[in-house]
Amino acid sequence: MAYLSISKVTKQFGDTVVVDNFNLDIEKGEFVSFLGPSGCGKTTTLRMVAGFELPTSGQIFLDGVDITDKSPNQRNVGMIFQSYALFPNMTVEQNIGFGLTVRKLEKDVIKQRVDEMVRLIHLEKHAHKYPYQLSGGQQQRVSLARALANRPQVLLLDEPLSALDAKIRVSLRSEIRAIQKSLGITAIFVTHDQEEALSISDRIVVMNVGEMEQVGTPFEIYNFPKTRFVANFVGSLNTAEAQVLDPANGLLTMDGIQLQTHEGIIGKKKGDKVTFAIRPERFSFVAEGKKENLLEGTVINITFLGSVVRIQMQIGNSTFNMDTFNRPSLELPKIGEKCQVTCSTKAVLILEG
Amino acid sequence: MAQTAITPQGKIYPPTNWKTWLGVAPFFIFAILFLFLPSLRLFTASFTDPEGNFTLNNIIQLFSEKYIVDAYKLSIQISAVTALGGGILGFLLAYSVTVGGLPKSLRSILITFSGVASNFAGVPLAFAFVATIGRQGFMTHILRDYFGMDIYEAGFNLYSFAGLSLVYMYFQFPLMVLIMAPALDGLKKEWREAAENLGASTAQYWLKVAMPVLLPSILGAMILLFGNAFGAYATAYALTGGRIGVVTIQIGAQIRGDVLYNPGLGYAMAIGMVVIMAISLAGYSWLQAKTERWLK
Ligand SMILES: Nc1ncnc2c1ncn2[C@@H]1O[C@H](COP(=O)(O)OP(=O)(O)O)[C@@H](O)[C@H]1O
Ligand SMILES: [Mg+2]
Repeated sequence: MAYLSISKVTKQFGDTVVVDNFNLDIEKGEFVSFLGPSGCGKTTTLRMVAGFELPTSGQIFLDGVDITDKSPNQRNVGMIFQSYALFPNMTVEQNIGFGLTVRKLEKDVIKQRVDEMVRLIHLEKHAHKYPYQLSGGQQQRVSLARALANRPQVLLLDEPLSALDAKIRVSLRSEIRAIQKSLGITAIFVTHDQEEALSISDRIVVMNVGEMEQVGTPFEIYNFPKTRFVANFVGSLNTAEAQVLDPANGLLTMDGIQLQTHEGIIGKKKGDKVTFAIRPERFSFVAEGKKENLLEGTVINITFLGSVVRIQMQIGNSTFNMDTFNRPSLELPKIGEKCQVTCSTKAVLILEG
Repeated sequence: MAQTAITPQGKIYPPTNWKTWLGVAPFFIFAILFLFLPSLRLFTASFTDPEGNFTLNNIIQLFSEKYIVDAYKLSIQISAVTALGGGILGFLLAYSVTVGGLPKSLRSILITFSGVASNFAGVPLAFAFVATIGRQGFMTHILRDYFGMDIYEAGFNLYSFAGLSLVYMYFQFPLMVLIMAPALDGLKKEWREAAENLGASTAQYWLKVAMPVLLPSILGAMILLFGNAFGAYATAYALTGGRIGVVTIQIGAQIRGDVLYNPGLGYAMAIGMVVIMAISLAGYSWLQAKTERWLK
């Protein structure tokens, strides 16, 4: 059995199903993200693992022990809140030592562990300060140290970076990941930010209104989204409808334009409607000798996004975005002009549902 | 040309312009007329004898006259008792409608009631109590006639220290409710959850987090209650007709002069009160500032 196992967990508030048949096995030392829009049940799932909510049905096992009904202070699970939730009447040291103090550990053990944690989060100079004297990023690091001081079996982080500035957000997330790796601690990280999830996770669970849409590594989630929801939520995918022309050879037609996929289309017959997706960066301007997936479009708009230029164009009756690197030698078409673009057969993804 | 870069606002309203002060002038005039000048008068008058000569007698009497020292003692006792009693009752009520999770509707009823009752003092309040549990009050009658309980036989007396304390409580606990409800709202749900998550029991959470966070507010509020009772005059006068000699009543007697008459002494006693009130308020703001800093 996996280290942390969330098994057939459902949560209802009144008649509303907020988490529906959630199944997930997490290995020891793994860093898993729950990614989804606001209100999809991420926090609720996390709170069930922490013991703040009781599942309506289903079970949660931690290291082989059924912890479903254990009260929060009986489980050894560390929780990090978006709002830091530091105790305002205690210094950094006292906050970090709180869990050890209430568990009545020996004074010198507490002192030693607190010092170790203060060093871990590089706040030696601020150890005697109160939370109101610290910046948001520092406060969240204290909160991390406070949770880790208890040596929890699992670390739960509920949008820990959402309240911080963009720069701190990026640096603190690598710090969290580095600490998690060095301690080998199992972690669940909740976020609605796809970039955050992609950059730090071993595995991502994409959630949508209480259901798991897809579970996979960042590479799988980004490159091979299974559903339209995942495709739209992770990165900025182009999606459109097409008709199956030849399922065995993976041939589609969209508004009279032929598209070739890399593999055959399973479970569809000629004439069926399918949704497909192409990432903006998979498009390129047509090179000589290219035969498949030649698409002619009209340029609608061009946007500079720093290192990338996004070209919006109309192909058939749909709008597509194409991203290309912003090189000085780049020759761009003009708005209203026609241009020919292409993509590899592997770039055309067929989505379920 | 650098000077022309001054903003238009800067040109029209330079910060030192007298017009800037015009808006707050009514406040300062009011403060001078009704706070500063009377205080000055109080101060000078307490060093003046009835003939208008300088004297230290009034101040000396404050500490040597037994009935004056007793008046202060009594005022301090009644203020302390009602601050503590009203404070505890008010805290428990505020707790039950905030953290305690009673229905929202009950909360707004209690807050509205408290807003009214905390200002309900003086003659109407004294009369309400007389009509309810005075010797001929209707509750006194109901208890005696239907329940066989004669509270006056049992030793209760509305016109005593205990009775006056009871009446004071009626405006004391609502004030506590009004101060503590927002403070209790300030306890974040996440603190409780973080404490639990770190292994603390409910008792440990209250002992180590909630109480220390609330303590300055509680103490501060009780100081305010103390001052509130210390300054009350009309309620005590209307209820006991001056038989219970709290400081305010003694001051009244000195200044009005039915039996005693020495305005200078009355003013000196008032100065004594001002000092006690000032200490209370300073304590209150110090504690309040401490909590606000934490909860920022
Ligand atoms: N205690 C509760 N009572 C009723 N509904 C709740 C409660 N907690 C959360 N919900 C609802 O459950 C849904 C999922 O909430 P949540 O798990 O917080 O989502 P997320 O963290 O993904 O934004 C939301 O629609 C929310 O309104
Ligand atoms: Mg949430």
